[in-house]
Amino acid sequence: MEIKERIREFIVENCLFGDTSVDLTDDTALLDTGIIDSTGVIELVLFISENFGLEVPAEDMLPENFNSIARLHAYLEQRVSVS
Amino acid sequence: MNTTDYLLEHAQDQCIALIDGDRTYTYGQLHTLIHSMVYVLHVHGVGLQDRVGIFGANSWFWVVAYLATLKLGAVAVPFSPAVRPPQLRVMQQRVKCRVVCGLEAHLTPPVRAVFADLAVITPTQLESACLEAPAPPANVACPPDMLAALMLTSGTTAQARAVCVTHGNIQANTDSIIESLDIAADDRMMVVLPFHYCFGTSLLHTHLRMGASLVLASNTILIEVVLNEIEAYQCTSLAGVPSIYQMLLRNSTFPRRSMPSLRTFQQAGGKLQSVLIAELAALRPQARIFVMYGQTEATARLACLPAELLHTKPGSIGRGLPGVELRVINADGVDVQPGEVGQIVARGGNITLGYLDEPEATALSFVDGALYTGDMATVDADGFIYIVDRQKDFIKSLGHRVSSYEIEACVMTVPQVVAAAAVGVPDPLLGEAIRLFVTLQPGTQLATETILDQCRRNLPRYMVPREVRVLDQMPMNQQGKILKTALREME
Repeated sequence: MEIKERIREFIVENCLFGDTSVDLTDDTALLDTGIIDSTGVIELVLFISENFGLEVPAEDMLPENFNSIARLHAYLEQRVSVS
Repeated sequence: MNTTDYLLEHAQDQCIALIDGDRTYTYGQLHTLIHSMVYVLHVHGVGLQDRVGIFGANSWFWVVAYLATLKLGAVAVPFSPAVRPPQLRVMQQRVKCRVVCGLEAHLTPPVRAVFADLAVITPTQLESACLEAPAPPANVACPPDMLAALMLTSGTTAQARAVCVTHGNIQANTDSIIESLDIAADDRMMVVLPFHYCFGTSLLHTHLRMGASLVLASNTILIEVVLNEIEAYQCTSLAGVPSIYQMLLRNSTFPRRSMPSLRTFQQAGGKLQSVLIAELAALRPQARIFVMYGQTEATARLACLPAELLHTKPGSIGRGLPGVELRVINADGVDVQPGEVGQIVARGGNITLGYLDEPEATALSFVDGALYTGDMATVDADGFIYIVDRQKDFIKSLGHRVSSYEIEACVMTVPQVVAAAAVGVPDPLLGEAIRLFVTLQPGTQLATETILDQCRRNLPRYMVPREVRVLDQMPMNQQGKILKTALREME
């Protein structure tokens, strides 16, 4: 499955509790809208670690990396290519 | 005196009051916005002592709606945006707001459905009112015993509880806090705490009163954003509950940053482990760190440990604020001797009227103008107060009465641990067995044996947990306090 789809699936399941009625596009703001809350951030970091083998350092936990599926995707691509 | 007039009394029009993202508001601009908002509320039929709901996370509009409500002599009712619609409905049934104010982005369809029969006021109405340039409203006099706000407390029950705060309460508590923390016009507070929580509201009150400025964190979920904004806006002060300091010290880049502007820290809302206070003090030797204690029932705050006594009186919440009489009394109503445990009882201008429409509950905690806090404490020979664990925080293990706090303090000395909570679970042999829950820094691999070893080396055998469980996240209430009841119920 494509990275974006895996992230989307994770968010729908864990942050929206399976509610597929929410229009979740690649650019939907995840933090500003409360889709991802403080628990969600921690779950997301664990998800990234377990599924992509990447540890997210504290300094990377920023909206530019986390605020949309597109941004998460770009962040993961860049991290994967570096390692 | 009207609380809004009191709060803005010393403000200089050209000075910055608020920074909210890319918007900066001077005190002059704030005055104009409040003036227009008073007009909008008035047009919507809000009069003396009518209740005005303010919904949502911190924003410039929250501040304007709050101050305009008080200016009109109406009653502000802040709602937490974290509350789910069913609970919000229970709260609204209790407080019966006449209108509700909020940003469009915060008022989602399920939230609007709760307030379906009320007028909803958003910045759109405010902007059109600014154009209409209404005549200035008459000054509304507010005697000290007039209701100013209904503060919803964080109870975990399905019942909503609202504390009745008067104009006199807010002004008395604001004066006390300013005096004990020495807040000045050149202070700039980074606000992470929500304004619907009394600790957050007190930051707003004290800094406006001194003509200082407040920066509203654009993101309270990601601590790095908060740290970047402290640097960008040169904030001088930060206030937080224990969970914020745990994250700051154990799970952020804060220890690696110099942040020279930051010179004052306020901590309240529960006991922060001494090891973390020591870490903070070691990282920021020049900073003033104030440990405080309070309750919504006392407007916000009751006690403060002066920064210069942080190391001489570790673990203490200090003494009563100026204007607050704090006593620790035993079951006979007599002040305790040093070392003896009793209940903290408070008197002062900040003690609120009690709970809205709950005379029995009010009579239990508010007796002849004194607040019986329900918090147990000891005093030392110099009169400094130390909170002891609440009754339910003791674990009965192998016949010993074990303080969960001491176990947690020991576990927190392991640097990879972000938060720790010990609870007792029924055990046929031990009476209660100690079960410890921890959260760890993301990406750390730490064997539970390492934590147990730390306990075995430092604690008597009866205090060593039987079991350690690693959680992704502690169950917490909206104020960031760990919910031990939820931990006890975990299978």
